[in-house]
Amino acid sequence: MSKKKKTDKHHSMFSNIMFFLALMFKLSPGLVIGDILNGIIQMLPTRLISVLGIKYIVDVVAEGADYGRIFNAVLIIAAVLIGGRLLTLIYREFYWNKEKERLYYRLNSTLYEKAHSLDLENYDNPDFYNNFILTIESSSENIQGLLGLVQRYVGSLASLIAVASVILAIDPICLGIIAATVIVFLPISKKIGQLQMGRRIENTKYHRRSDYFQRIFYLQDYAKEVRMNNIRPLLIDRYNDAADDVIDNQRKYWKKIASLYAVQQIGVQALGFMFIMPLYLGYCVLVKHTLSAGDFVASFNGAYSIAMSMNFLTIWANAIFSERAKMIEKYREFLSSDYKIKDGEKTAENGEPKTIEIKNMSFTYPGNDKPTLKNINITVKPYEKIALVGYNGAGKTTLTNLLLRLYDVTEGEILIDGENIKDFTVQSHRDRFAAVYQDFQTFACSIGENVALDTDTDKEKIEEALRHSGFSKKLDKGTDTELLREFDDDGVMLSGGESQKVAIARAFYKKCPYIILDEPSANLDPIAEYNLNKAMLEAADSKTVIFISHRLSTTVVADKIYVMENGEIIESGSHDELMKQNGTYAKMFALQAEKYKAQ
Amino acid sequence: MGRYIKIHEDIKVPVAKNIFYALRVIWKAEKALPISYVLSRLTDNVFELFIQNILFLKVLLSVFDSGGDFKAYFKDLILFFIVAAVCKISSWALAYVRQVAAKKTLKSLNNMVFEKAASLDVSCYENPEFYDKYQRANLVLTSSYFDLICSDIADIVSGIIALILVIVTVASVNPVYLLFLLPTVFVFLVETFKSKAVYRRDLKMTGNNRTKAYIQRTVFLKDFSKDMRTSNIFAVMMKRFKAAIDANVEILGSYGWKLFLYSVFSTALSEFIPIVGTYAYAGYQFAKKSSMTVSGFSVVVSSINTVREATLRVAEGFDDMTQMALYFQNLRDFFEYESKIVSGTKKVGNFESLEFRNVSFRYPSASKNSVNNVSFKLNKGEKLAVVGVNGAGKSTLVKLILRFYDADEGEILLNGVNVKEYDLESLRTSFATVFQDYRNFAVSVFENVICRECSDEDKKRAEEALKKAGVWEKIRELPSGGDTLLTREFDRDGAGLSGGENQKVSAARLFASNFEVAILDEPSSALDPIAEYKMYENLIKETENKTVIYISHRLSSAVLSDRIIVLEGGRIIETGSHSELMKSGGRYSEMFALQASGYNREGDDNE
Repeated sequence: MSKKKKTDKHHSMFSNIMFFLALMFKLSPGLVIGDILNGIIQMLPTRLISVLGIKYIVDVVAEGADYGRIFNAVLIIAAVLIGGRLLTLIYREFYWNKEKERLYYRLNSTLYEKAHSLDLENYDNPDFYNNFILTIESSSENIQGLLGLVQRYVGSLASLIAVASVILAIDPICLGIIAATVIVFLPISKKIGQLQMGRRIENTKYHRRSDYFQRIFYLQDYAKEVRMNNIRPLLIDRYNDAADDVIDNQRKYWKKIASLYAVQQIGVQALGFMFIMPLYLGYCVLVKHTLSAGDFVASFNGAYSIAMSMNFLTIWANAIFSERAKMIEKYREFLSSDYKIKDGEKTAENGEPKTIEIKNMSFTYPGNDKPTLKNINITVKPYEKIALVGYNGAGKTTLTNLLLRLYDVTEGEILIDGENIKDFTVQSHRDRFAAVYQDFQTFACSIGENVALDTDTDKEKIEEALRHSGFSKKLDKGTDTELLREFDDDGVMLSGGESQKVAIARAFYKKCPYIILDEPSANLDPIAEYNLNKAMLEAADSKTVIFISHRLSTTVVADKIYVMENGEIIESGSHDELMKQNGTYAKMFALQAEKYKAQ
Repeated sequence: MGRYIKIHEDIKVPVAKNIFYALRVIWKAEKALPISYVLSRLTDNVFELFIQNILFLKVLLSVFDSGGDFKAYFKDLILFFIVAAVCKISSWALAYVRQVAAKKTLKSLNNMVFEKAASLDVSCYENPEFYDKYQRANLVLTSSYFDLICSDIADIVSGIIALILVIVTVASVNPVYLLFLLPTVFVFLVETFKSKAVYRRDLKMTGNNRTKAYIQRTVFLKDFSKDMRTSNIFAVMMKRFKAAIDANVEILGSYGWKLFLYSVFSTALSEFIPIVGTYAYAGYQFAKKSSMTVSGFSVVVSSINTVREATLRVAEGFDDMTQMALYFQNLRDFFEYESKIVSGTKKVGNFESLEFRNVSFRYPSASKNSVNNVSFKLNKGEKLAVVGVNGAGKSTLVKLILRFYDADEGEILLNGVNVKEYDLESLRTSFATVFQDYRNFAVSVFENVICRECSDEDKKRAEEALKKAGVWEKIRELPSGGDTLLTREFDRDGAGLSGGENQKVSAARLFASNFEVAILDEPSSALDPIAEYKMYENLIKETENKTVIYISHRLSSAVLSDRIIVLEGGRIIETGSHSELMKSGGRYSEMFALQASGYNREGDDNE
């Protein structure tokens, strides 16, 4: 996937900006239009007044001071200012604040939906994954950043045009001087922008290292480990190495950046606006007498206004836009990313268990050379209890991932009731399974929702499922009790074993023909494990169960056991058959059972 | 100056005190940062707000007023050009110093934090309140608040100086104008009230924002990805997300009027009164008294903008600084935290015995004791197994021995001396430990085992240890063998090991160290049966003649030990050897029978 992206051509900056603006416009037209208008209202009047207003008054005075005219001018200026301000404030406090939050919601919902539909393999691809996190985390910043930028852009553009027209009317040569000064030094500004970008990119690289070591010291996970061995000095050394790299990088870039800035600003501000332009204006006023004092003040103020606008419009806006555009590029990449696990035409039925057939199935994880599963053939009859055992990394969990279409097989096929599982919609296919993973999660929501994993919850069924899984902790608010303290400071923190019972209760709750249990009892003590096994068999009477376990004592009850090694099935049969075969299974079992018989 | 901001209803943070504290800490870390900040802002602000906008215009226009000598005008221009060039050069030289100093400050602050963090009690990490504070203190570093506070202070100082210069200049034209300009200064007050309201508003939204952040995590963390795909929990999350947003919108709405009025008031003071006032009065002076010059008028009009600009910078500086104060309060609490676990002075000698005498312990904020009147003695060379159901207090015993927590009652004696009398580091390093929740670091595999920069000799030792842990085969195949960086955190070629392999690397740490006593807290939880068996075999070989405390809920391992302690509800309910306990027919034999039942089907001939 990552390779495909690199050869893909990127969109132009303009195209990216327009893409995001269009997206925002679709989600909230009011906010986009409002911000653009607001940009003009905020900037144009003040800038115009500082040029035209002053010129008008100074000239009126020169003509012979008519208080009435001055007074009228002041009234107009005041009215324009106050009117503009009030509009801005009303917009901001009564609309903008709230609408921004709503836009955030609409945008992120879109992103989350997209993320939710992604293939699981994307999480294993670091390029894509980093991009994906960055996209989601930057959405609020993108909204605010881009709107603010567009607002300033439009405001600057409007005032540039207005002020430049005024100065053009006063003296075209003066406008020429201003424009020339700014334009001559533009390449330097551009170079500065590039250097800043380069610096940031390199810094990020070093910061990733230093941030990691920083984290070790404050993450709870590492607290014990760091205290129990003398690794601390090594970690601090590594941090300092990374920090020194950051400092050197900063030196390297800022030496150039600061020098260029100094040259640019001496050129534009000191030489252009504080020397050449006033020299010309002074000559016109004092020697040639072609300009009035009012013209002088207006041109002088106008020069700064124009310089500010031009500097922003050409350099800063460009730099910020292009940085923003890069973020948006990632956005687009993410939103347009395709998935490989596609819906089939049919809707899977969620009724009685049917035969599951895995035929000549092989699977290679994307980016790996070696297949994780090789030529697997398994047939599971309805209501059977199937155990998968084997070493770490033998491919047991991968097999269940394929059954659930979290990945699709590379070769061969998986059939349920004779039909390829790819022919069904992904959702309806997965709905047929209840799965409890080794690395199951509890979510920060009510315990009921945690069992049902759905918005509709059936209280009685949940309680029953929890009873089956052996969950015995007393809860104040019953199934409405919140788990974790993410939202609710009174949220309940469960121990590892109790969380596992909640996870197992999910399988009991879900109405479906097939259950997958991936080491469901790893965190449980012997008594809880025993109870669980019993409950599991009782409850799963009417279902097909596929379970993975390290502890062979739990596999004895299975109708059929598949022993896996290096992605292949090396033995299969019932417990008794396998013990008779005296192969790997028998060896593993003997090892584990040995200590229990020692007496 | 008595400004306080509220964090919760009842906690107030003294702003001024914290800011001084912040400056002291930053000063200690890197003097160049605050100095270069103040100097560079001073150059920038005085130049932009005063020299360029006011003085320059005033001087040139007064040449016009006084009849207009072009030569004098030209001289003034040259002088200004030189001043401007010098200002620009020094401004950017200072910017360079500042940028480098910022990163140096970060480095030395981090080193200060590391040192302090290493001395923290482990209980701090488990106490949500403290931990929360610690994380917020860390924001001072990760979000560069140390840099921001220097920037704020520099803005305030330079803003005030520029303000004074402008006011003096205006007063020299006509003091009456100050009447219209000075209200601007009160904007500062209004803005303070406004930002307090904003702060209160944002505080109300924190809960909802936490929800938003959590939902986001569930979407992008790999941990949640499988559950999210195979169930409908996504809908539950989206419902919560919507609810959080709606709540936020309501809060934002409820503050609309208040903030609007503050803003109107602030605008009236900073724009309406100064602009209308000066223009009107200047017009009056021109027309009625003819006492106004063009240069004077221009200066006064320019100063409206300048005063507003300077005041806003000062106000924003204060406002920002007030918020920073909160974070520095956290940093301060962190630095000033005194560990409850105080190190003794004695060094631990060769291991003789470890004894618990009537030890009881309750976790802070727990309602029940986790360890209840526990007594036992472990002699040199003994192997002790501690078994019990989850939550029986097994791991807590370990935490007490290692002084991650101190016992509330009773005492723990190592070689007959209370563990509290030992130097902490000496105490902890005298035990070799493998934890259930082991961690590896993003340094090389060898360094993970030896825990320091490795010499060739160290590497050999690490290799041996990795062999014993049963993971060398895998490590050898990595791109750079044992020198490969663990985890892909920041190196693409780093090793991504499986859970079991990681646990083995962590166990190799034990094999590599020359230990006398080992504490093994469920060291094989992530291993498959064969790997687990091999690991035990090696552990038994390695720990011959050595003292071992073994914690497990898998009873098969208890069989190997000399003595077994069965814990329930923090109490020792049974103790003895495996055969003794089996005979006595108590809890242990019951648990054992249950666990063994699965294995006994084919073993009928055995008994």
